[in-house]
Amino acid sequence: MAEKVPVLSVQDVHKQFGDTPVLNGVSLDLFRGDIKVVIGPSGGGKSTLLHCINFLVKMDAGNIYLNDTRIDQSRKRELYAYRQKVGMIFQDFNLFDHLDALHNVMIGLVQVRKLPRSEARQRAEAELERVGLKDHMAKYPAELSGGQKQRVSIARALAMEPEVMLLDEPTSALDPELIGEVHEVIRAMAALGMTMLLVTHEIGFASTLAKEIYFMDGGRILEQGPPQKILFDAEQARTREFCSKIGRLNENSD
Amino acid sequence: MIEELLFIRQEVAPELIAGLWMSIQLIIPSAVCGLLIGIVIGTLRVYGSPGLKGFAGIYVLFFRGFPLLVQLYLWYFGLPRIGIYLSPFAASVIGFSLCSGAYQSEYIRGALQSIRKGQLLAAYSIGFSHTRAIFSILLPQAVRRALPGCGNELIYLIKYSSLAYMVTCIELTGKGSILANFHFKYLEIFIIVGAIYLLLVSVVSVGLNYLEDRIAVPGFDRPKI
Repeated sequence: MAEKVPVLSVQDVHKQFGDTPVLNGVSLDLFRGDIKVVIGPSGGGKSTLLHCINFLVKMDAGNIYLNDTRIDQSRKRELYAYRQKVGMIFQDFNLFDHLDALHNVMIGLVQVRKLPRSEARQRAEAELERVGLKDHMAKYPAELSGGQKQRVSIARALAMEPEVMLLDEPTSALDPELIGEVHEVIRAMAALGMTMLLVTHEIGFASTLAKEIYFMDGGRILEQGPPQKILFDAEQARTREFCSKIGRLNENSD
Repeated sequence: MIEELLFIRQEVAPELIAGLWMSIQLIIPSAVCGLLIGIVIGTLRVYGSPGLKGFAGIYVLFFRGFPLLVQLYLWYFGLPRIGIYLSPFAASVIGFSLCSGAYQSEYIRGALQSIRKGQLLAAYSIGFSHTRAIFSILLPQAVRRALPGCGNELIYLIKYSSLAYMVTCIELTGKGSILANFHFKYLEIFIIVGAIYLLLVSVVSVGLNYLEDRIAVPGFDRPKI
């Protein structure tokens, strides 16, 4: 490993919803420029893991470190600063419904970063241009396609200049045609060296991008390794069983 | 006929216009304060700390539960008992605002609860604090959704402002009653009084429709009636 300190380190995260354990001690490290992908069956805890990492769901136990600094979520200022550094992309986009695309991207810059409006506008326009939405800046979420919405949400996260991006099934609410345009944007982020943790069912796409794949089930990382190993030569029977099914489904995806 | 019209113009109109003016002076501050109270109480009921939630719940219970007339009597006739003397006008505005606030808060609460949780999560995820997320992201959406209900409450307020007469604040209905008693012309005068309220309500309805159109954004559209 070229760098010693991971950008983001997740250590032994536990989470229970009522009596149901969802995460049973999950640990992982992301080094600068790493792209790691989490796969696994629904209900396996993937989404909850990303929500815990961003403290959107309160974890029962475990620690998160950003550049070797432990995040204490009871210290609000620290938490808000941390969340700016860790961008989050949601499955269902979660654009602010009452704001047009431009203002969705601007609002964080103006209200959280306290940038002057003109500067925030410039930055927001540049981010939207980067995701190919220059001509859709004045449209409201209700007027955008799913793929466009997800690209706005990526622009919104990128505008905060995050060090890490967490992507929670960014394309699973999209039809096959729209998936491609979002994948393109994710690829562009990867090309710029963004550190990413991606939860997805798009295994074909993931395997071309990821350095390492985690297979998660029952609230644990059951197995991890390079894509080829996890997809075609997994050690665990459960991983093999899962991958044999999605392998076929994803044969034709990019 | 001419005699009647002359009577209305000379005896009735000036009095009723003075009453109408007093009504408007009662309604405007009550509506503004009521809406502000409603936004605060409604927000606390959904997103307040447990203590504030409890307070807001009790507020709504009492101010929606006591008949408004009883509330006005308490403010005007009851408070002097503990040494607080309110003018009829002040007692009315306070009574209307507090009561209207309780009703408004329910519209705001409903609207806030109808907003998907993802809106709040998205705001947190780019570094918003809880309070800022509520003010910048949730309330602008909630107010749009609550507006038809809040407008309904405003229209209701216009009419229950006539209760101010019961605590000796002589507004439109009060003036009407005095005139009707004095001239013994109940039918004519109360038809005119009712028509003035109708006019007031109509003007406000048009204004509310205009406002709804002005702040409408795609996704918060309403079907055109």
